[in-house]
Amino acid sequence: MEKTGIAVWEAVEIPQKRCALWRFPLRSIWVERIQAEWHVLSLPAARREADASYRIVARAQKPPSSEWRHYLHRDGGTMQASPVLPDRPVVMRPDRALTLLPGQSTIFFLEIPVWFRLSTSGYRPAQIFEEPLTVLTRTWFGDPVNGELCWGLATRLHHSVDSVDPTADHAVCPLMIENDSETDLEFQKVCLHVENLSMFRGKRLLWTNSLHAVFRGPDQVTQMEIVHTPPGFEEGLVSVSSARLPATGWNIRRTFGMLKYFTDF
Amino acid sequence: MFIQQITNWFQTLSPDVLTRGLRVAVTIVMGLVLVRLLAVVSQRYVMKKSTLQRQMIVRKIISYTGFSLVLMAVLGELGVKLTALLGAAGIVGIAVGFASQTSVSNIISGLFLISEKPFAIGDVIRIGSTTGIIQSIDLLSIKIRTFDNLFVRIPNEKILTSEVTNITRFPIRRMDIVFQVDYGQDLSRVHRILAEIAGANPWSLDEPQPTIMLNEFKESGIEVMLGLWFAKSDFAALKNSIMQEISGRFGAEGIRFGHPLRSVQVSNNGEPARSTHSLRGAHSPRKRAVSAPTA
Repeated sequence: MEKTGIAVWEAVEIPQKRCALWRFPLRSIWVERIQAEWHVLSLPAARREADASYRIVARAQKPPSSEWRHYLHRDGGTMQASPVLPDRPVVMRPDRALTLLPGQSTIFFLEIPVWFRLSTSGYRPAQIFEEPLTVLTRTWFGDPVNGELCWGLATRLHHSVDSVDPTADHAVCPLMIENDSETDLEFQKVCLHVENLSMFRGKRLLWTNSLHAVFRGPDQVTQMEIVHTPPGFEEGLVSVSSARLPATGWNIRRTFGMLKYFTDF
Repeated sequence: MFIQQITNWFQTLSPDVLTRGLRVAVTIVMGLVLVRLLAVVSQRYVMKKSTLQRQMIVRKIISYTGFSLVLMAVLGELGVKLTALLGAAGIVGIAVGFASQTSVSNIISGLFLISEKPFAIGDVIRIGSTTGIIQSIDLLSIKIRTFDNLFVRIPNEKILTSEVTNITRFPIRRMDIVFQVDYGQDLSRVHRILAEIAGANPWSLDEPQPTIMLNEFKESGIEVMLGLWFAKSDFAALKNSIMQEISGRFGAEGIRFGHPLRSVQVSNNGEPARSTHSLRGAHSPRKRAVSAPTA
């Protein structure tokens, strides 16, 4: 049975000596189960796929490769492929630098690439492996002494959820920003601590928790609040993965990049 | 036979000596166990969140103090008068101090190093021609393990008077790749290709942005510097990948690296040169004019 779209994230049963194949726009994941062994292969897509898909294929079709990874787990029952958020903060560089004027507020819908996590849901559930579905660049947020290593991503700022293309390898993060200061808020880049966010699956899109930020000026410490309930932009959201780290607020001064820290030399 | 001899020897001892011997043995065993226990408890529970360096210092303070106390207890048990011993130790200490000025200098330097904290255990440092990972920082010396797995002991006094580079102090670093491209290359194309290579490399950070500098007109070509920022743990991965990528891409794009180039002009008896030969290679002779002998 073939599944497409975000239905690929539903629990699946892999028959013995058969292969499961997930195809995402930029990556394919092959999984084979032989008794207590799980064999997993992750390959970059030969050409960009239009949509994600899942199906069971014959073992003869599995690609020969030295990259197959082998895991042993005796209690494996149903297998669960889950979308999870990246393991580090993501610095998002919008396609255009926006300035939020004093007293204004807005909402953006940011697309965050998800990782593929394979786990078993038997007597003792276990995580088998994780793999990014999109190649992200490495970037540094902050000064060279006190910053943090992040994933970098150029992204589009969506003002409406309708303009977001539904894909199985991206989650949508609603970000509400209020500029409660007397100064302009230059929205050049934003650092999202995605390891604090949970994920939800709807009928059309994957979602993360909503974020709510109130900017009170560059000298004021303001927290980025995480809304712990599922975002209300789609009905019937189901939790698919919890946050990697307990959700806490973080300092907005280190969230927005308003200064260019480095010159070209 | 041997056991019998030992048994007989014990039987010759008076009960007082036997009791005292037993008490000394118990003091040593219990003392050493207690000192060890204190050191482990302090390290695992009290100093759990401290740095490795602090843990090591505290462990050594506990150990040295504990062993000294055990020694004094044992000597007291054996009837040695500690006041006289300490008085003698003072005199001996002065004599030893004069004789071991270097060691004292190392100890004082060690105290300065511990308070200044220019590096910590696990840091990669370079002192002179030695580069390695710090294994321990002691009162007399630091011990480092080099990347070819050599154990090097460096006296603290030398460290205090030398230039020390802590390579892993900061979380990110810049790697500068310097090379020359041949004269006649399209430099804007070289710049663009280097920017593409840096952008595509998975280990290079895109912020801070890579630096591309056309440094200097050199004898054999134009010197170019590509500076890439990276997380300190990715040094080897970046170095290997970027060298391969630059070499491969330049080869594919037909961009030539600068090599030592010499022109040899042959002139006939002061007349203008009629032929020119270019010699490439590291051992090319310097440019010179060769006058052919007249017939």
